[in-house]
Amino acid sequence: MAELRQIAIYGKGGIGKSTTTQNLTAGLVEHGKKVMVVGCDPKADSTRLLLGGLAQKTVLDTIREEGEDISLDRIMKEGFGGTKCVESGGPEPGVGCAGRGIITSINMLENLGAYTDDLDYVFYDVLGDVVCGGFAMPIREGKAKEIYIVASGEMMALYAANNISKGIQRYARTGGVRLGGIICNSRNVDRELDLLRAFSKELGTKLLYFVPRDNVVQHAEINKKTVIEYKPDSNQAQEYRNLAQAVIENTDFVIPTPMTQERLEEILMEYGMMELSDDYKI
Amino acid sequence: MATNLNSSNVATRENRIGSITGYIGSLKDLASQSECGTLKGCSRCFSQSSSCLSMCALGQLSAIRDVAIIHHGPAGCSVAGAGTYYLDKVMAKKRGVTNDTVYVGTDMNENDTIFGSTEALRKIILEVNKRYSPKAIFVSSSCATGIIGEDIDSIVDEVKEEIDVPVIAVHCEGFKSRIWATGFDVSDHAVLSGIVKPPREGIKSNKINFKNFYESARPEIIEMFKEFDLEPTFLYCNSTVEELSHISEAVATTCICGTLGNYLGNVLEEKYGVPYVRSINQCGIVGFEAWLREIGKVTGRSEKIEKYIEEQRAIYLPKIEEVKKELKGLTAVLGMGPGYTFEVSRVLDELGIKVVWALAWHYDKKYENGDVPPSMKYLLDNNIDFEASVADQQNFEVMNILNKYKPDLYLSRHPGSTVWAIKNGTPSVYVADEYMIFGYKHTLEFAYTILDSIRNRSFEENLAKRTKLPYTDWWYKQNVGKFLVQDKT
Repeated sequence: MAELRQIAIYGKGGIGKSTTTQNLTAGLVEHGKKVMVVGCDPKADSTRLLLGGLAQKTVLDTIREEGEDISLDRIMKEGFGGTKCVESGGPEPGVGCAGRGIITSINMLENLGAYTDDLDYVFYDVLGDVVCGGFAMPIREGKAKEIYIVASGEMMALYAANNISKGIQRYARTGGVRLGGIICNSRNVDRELDLLRAFSKELGTKLLYFVPRDNVVQHAEINKKTVIEYKPDSNQAQEYRNLAQAVIENTDFVIPTPMTQERLEEILMEYGMMELSDDYKI
Repeated sequence: MATNLNSSNVATRENRIGSITGYIGSLKDLASQSECGTLKGCSRCFSQSSSCLSMCALGQLSAIRDVAIIHHGPAGCSVAGAGTYYLDKVMAKKRGVTNDTVYVGTDMNENDTIFGSTEALRKIILEVNKRYSPKAIFVSSSCATGIIGEDIDSIVDEVKEEIDVPVIAVHCEGFKSRIWATGFDVSDHAVLSGIVKPPREGIKSNKINFKNFYESARPEIIEMFKEFDLEPTFLYCNSTVEELSHISEAVATTCICGTLGNYLGNVLEEKYGVPYVRSINQCGIVGFEAWLREIGKVTGRSEKIEKYIEEQRAIYLPKIEEVKKELKGLTAVLGMGPGYTFEVSRVLDELGIKVVWALAWHYDKKYENGDVPPSMKYLLDNNIDFEASVADQQNFEVMNILNKYKPDLYLSRHPGSTVWAIKNGTPSVYVADEYMIFGYKHTLEFAYTILDSIRNRSFEENLAKRTKLPYTDWWYKQNVGKFLVQDKT
């Protein structure tokens, strides 16, 4: 049996980490893989498409209400194609410490024996940027060894991706964590593919897959489903299957080489929208 | 200095008055660098000990009678509560009053840290108020609440509407300052912002605020001030909230220790025009007289004070001169807070004892009004110099110094420090009581205490023979500043 691959997905807030992770998961399931998805976001919406809604009770809420003597099935629900879904949860916006919450809930998952031998993949879908130690939890202490950053051709998404790479570099020095590549969740920005390729190269990694923009993703989300479940025959479903295939086949894992602010801006200038700045269309 | 009493937070000593915890050099260099603003502190790449500022702040506040301290943090943060509770009861008993102050910890757990626990805090504040009916409630933060940004200020503001007595947020996250004496300022800020009221109209007061630790010399100071038609209000040990609310009406503020009184004195002067007595402190003859004369000056009582000085001199000076003969030529090392170390150095010099090294647990470059601390200025003006270092109770440095200089005497004001010196075979004087060198009478007693300590050294010698200290010979051969590193800032 193949070794369990633990994968953390990072990226700028709103870039589509949860959407990409769940659709990718659906693609892996079709390949017969056993997958667990751990949502590391206080909003607890990382498994909504797999579960068909926000029916999930979070790890932290459960611990708070029932104490630490709980069984795994209280916090883990089965979703699309037999995926195991867990939401870490966290405090209300503006109070407490979400980072500490992630640390606590991942420890709890380990204690409860959630990492069973039959699993092929575990995904950690982590909120936004790596703002503090808690959000780096999935890549610490030998948990996720493989990281994908979801980005787009938009400037702020690349800023965030570069910043996240600094966090990965920090933990790569002492642990086995490596960057597996950049996944582009396209925003239809000019020369997006070229820009993402150049950016990935500069980071010392590759553009793993370019997911084109398609409204069917939004339709599927409204219907609380992954695209593969909602419209299995659509082009976009095939794109996610291809992404899953790319992840399965990926063997290029690197310690990223984050760039300086100046270098990042140079790349943006080279591939960016500068020459078309007056021709902006909505 | 511009004080903002509308904010519940007070800046640290490092930020406000450029205090440092690491330095080695001479007293002159330390003082002249402070004056010209070039003094840069060092940090240590190895640190043996330190103390938490919350212990300092809440220890001060809990000594106020019949208040409640609510320490919002994990149980370990309120560990000082037990000791404080004991001390407060003893001090009240000693004075013959009762102190029903309670010290409550909120016992934050993992869930509280993740989700925040302001709702629990609100309930605790209301319950404490209901159960104990305190005269004021101080709600303190901790490191844990500081890191998660628990909004204590808002909860305090909200419960104020339901509680008739002052409820005051006290921000004492331990990590915000290396200097525990920041806790003194934190407690002063809480009292000034939450309890002190503007002076009532038409009140003519003869009260003088006297900031001290444990008011052990209370009766004799009251007696003495009577002669000058002054009435001391001792702060904060055994103070009542009512007393504190009117300290803005006093004719002056003074203190037993510059580190302790600096913030309160300066803010009362700045906000309410209460003069702050800025002089060297009351230790020794020179200090006592300079202090009394400054009080005479700011309160218009110079004549009475000169008369008192004359009477006292006649009684005590001959006796002090007599004992000085026996002390002449002794050498001493001392380690104390900066409010004492440079004052006691002066007294030792006065008594003919040579200070070879003085350690200050921290050092304030300048006081709130922008001046170099008076104790330093005095030593400089009188051309007194010795080796000096700033070390936040780094005992290993003390032991290194004692082994190198082998002084006749070690003096410290902090428990434990003298014990180590004694185990090392060095006769030691524990200057525990803040009034141990106060005025003529106690200066004489202090001189006798030193004489007693050095005349019979058998205890230290025997103990040293039977004790093995943990330090290696290697360490004793190193420079004291071995572990000091220049701060990058």
